[in-house]
Amino acid sequence: MSLPSISVRSGLGIAPTLLLVPFFTLLLDGCTPQPQVDQDALVELGTYLFFDNRLSGDASISCATCHDPDHAWADGTALSQTYPAADGFRNSKSLLNVSQRSNYYWDGGPAGASVANVTAEMIGGKLFLNLNDRLLTERLKQIPAYVDLFEQSLAEIPSYEGAIRALEAFQNTLTTQGSTPMGETAQRGSAVFESNCASCHSGEGYTDGLPHAMRVPENPDITADPLRHTAFRLYLKDHNVPDHMSLREDPGHLAQTGDERHRAAFITPDLRQVADTAPYMHNGIFDTLDDVVAFYSDGGMDLSLEESSDLIAFLESLSGTIPHIEEPEMPPYEVSQNWAEVSN
Amino acid sequence: MRALLRIPFAPLFLVLALFVIAAATISVSAVKQEAPSLAALGAPPIPSDNPQSVDENGFPLSDDPKVELGKMLYFENRLSGDASVSCADCHSDEFGFSDGQDLCLAYQGTGNWRNCPTVVNSAYQDQLFWDGRSDRLEDQAKGAATSAVEGHGHPDMMEERLRQIPEYVDRFEKVFGTEWPEGDDIWRAISAFERTIIQPDTPFDRFMRGDQTALTDDAKAGMGLFLGKAACIQCHTGPLLSDQQFHNVGVPDNSKLATDPLIQITFRFQQFGRGVPPEIYDVVKSDLGLYLGTKQPEDMGKFRTAPLRYLKYSMPYMHNGSFFTLEEVVDFYNDGGGTNDFEALAGSSTRSDLLKPLGLTDEEKRQLVAFLESTSGEEIKIERPVLPEYDVFATPANSGN
Repeated sequence: MSLPSISVRSGLGIAPTLLLVPFFTLLLDGCTPQPQVDQDALVELGTYLFFDNRLSGDASISCATCHDPDHAWADGTALSQTYPAADGFRNSKSLLNVSQRSNYYWDGGPAGASVANVTAEMIGGKLFLNLNDRLLTERLKQIPAYVDLFEQSLAEIPSYEGAIRALEAFQNTLTTQGSTPMGETAQRGSAVFESNCASCHSGEGYTDGLPHAMRVPENPDITADPLRHTAFRLYLKDHNVPDHMSLREDPGHLAQTGDERHRAAFITPDLRQVADTAPYMHNGIFDTLDDVVAFYSDGGMDLSLEESSDLIAFLESLSGTIPHIEEPEMPPYEVSQNWAEVSN
Repeated sequence: MRALLRIPFAPLFLVLALFVIAAATISVSAVKQEAPSLAALGAPPIPSDNPQSVDENGFPLSDDPKVELGKMLYFENRLSGDASVSCADCHSDEFGFSDGQDLCLAYQGTGNWRNCPTVVNSAYQDQLFWDGRSDRLEDQAKGAATSAVEGHGHPDMMEERLRQIPEYVDRFEKVFGTEWPEGDDIWRAISAFERTIIQPDTPFDRFMRGDQTALTDDAKAGMGLFLGKAACIQCHTGPLLSDQQFHNVGVPDNSKLATDPLIQITFRFQQFGRGVPPEIYDVVKSDLGLYLGTKQPEDMGKFRTAPLRYLKYSMPYMHNGSFFTLEEVVDFYNDGGGTNDFEALAGSSTRSDLLKPLGLTDEEKRQLVAFLESTSGEEIKIERPVLPEYDVFATPANSGN
């Protein structure tokens, strides 16, 4: 079995292994000793799976559909797409530096989320890849190249849990390197940022990880498009939002907590690579950083034109080098040889 | 009566055949003590929790608003996961309310592993799906529409899509009295429509009701064989020509199981999804049939006795579409059925001991096929309904502001 080679530039070295430990412990509970994991093979497997449409119910979309390497691992649109025959009502978040995040969803998502269980939710969720976990396993078993990679990486036959581990290992490699050297304007912008933005966009990831209601304008496409409205109402219903049949405004974090104080509040987004991940806000309502800065300036920051452009220069300086990964050629299904004799 | 006298079967059965005319049923005490018999088809049962309007003889009326709604939903792609397929794709009037394939069409990106049974006369069945895992149409419709390899629809998603279509909102309100379309009412409406897709007016039924001219001489001779020498009546009894029980007759595996990756995926997925124990999942290579539901080893390889109606239009036959013609089916039984090897897995053979080589002559086979064709009647055709569009402006969320 020869596979097309994939070049994955991981800047993390040993770090992903450490990050994986708690999840492994959960998965392999009672299953000791743990087999040696071949991390490179696991990342290679995860790379294939990330781009593989067969990870969706009707084999039409993959993780990369909404987390596209050509759009800084988001999708470049205001509202992401969903599984076919509905459409999205939130902006796709970039996966860059996802391993360093503790929040993955605009509305905060369920408590205790991790890269692994968000990945599982994206595969199984009816608005996302919408694939039954066992059907996933049986599909992977029908692809000899994956059988080999599972054996090489995890010393096991293809499994749903193993696929999640591989996808997590791959996503953990999506880290940016360095940042853009700050010029004079960016340095001035840094001061503007410190005094106006840093109370919420705090810390290394430029986020406090907390929900805030910023009165971001609603995106009218969500209620004007029946397919988006379908997904919106279904999501609210699934989260027991009481007025889901008549609600026009995205209730944000309230959907997760049921707490009125969280209505229309969204988790402060990470700002690393922000210049690369337009459009902005939970509903993609702003196309450019100028729009975003104007929104906050009008909302009370009251920045001068020079302060605004300095701030934008600062935000642009936060971008580092984005890992470049070529979409691999997908290994095909193959018929099980000696079907009658081999084990299922 | 002259026609009957020419029927070439044993005098015992000639006598019995006379009872057909008198009582519209036949008792064959020689075959079974319970006296299995054939009968004309009456009105289908209507479940009390899903009423629909019927005529003075109890036959469902097609102009009932529930039936009209059900017909629309039967053609409604938006019930499937990616809005790509509807009930009508696999149960099309072009193919006898089946799909003309040996193995049924499947959801995109998947394969199917069984033949698609006809909807015609399914209203009368107590056992639906080849392994009998549903006992009513409401349950069958939901099962097929939500299976990951068939419709892959999610009930909440279907409900939400219908709520975005004003005409459905109105129709559900009129039929079910709810403000919004509700998931379970989808299956009620579709089942009410399916209860109108019946064919009780066939030469066989007319014969059983006393019209001696309804069957050709060949068909009458075939009926005699059915009751006698061919012994079909052992399992194919009653108005459906099915005992609605389960038997392993040794139908050969469909060869696609060994050659099509998507079908191999589905085969394993079904074993796992139905909770087959790992030691059996690992080694099984043939459809376990009834066992998938009961987990009783003696049920391995047993399938629902197919109703022998509407056969002219609903080929191919058997649970995996192994035979495309009735002649092949008759040859299969004439040879005493087939073999499969569930013995190792089940501990003992699960194959029916009712099957014996029949020793039918070519003429007898032809007569038997003529009888099997007499239970079909006119082909049922339906007009494809116009389906309504999504319309966002009619939803309350958009009626304000």
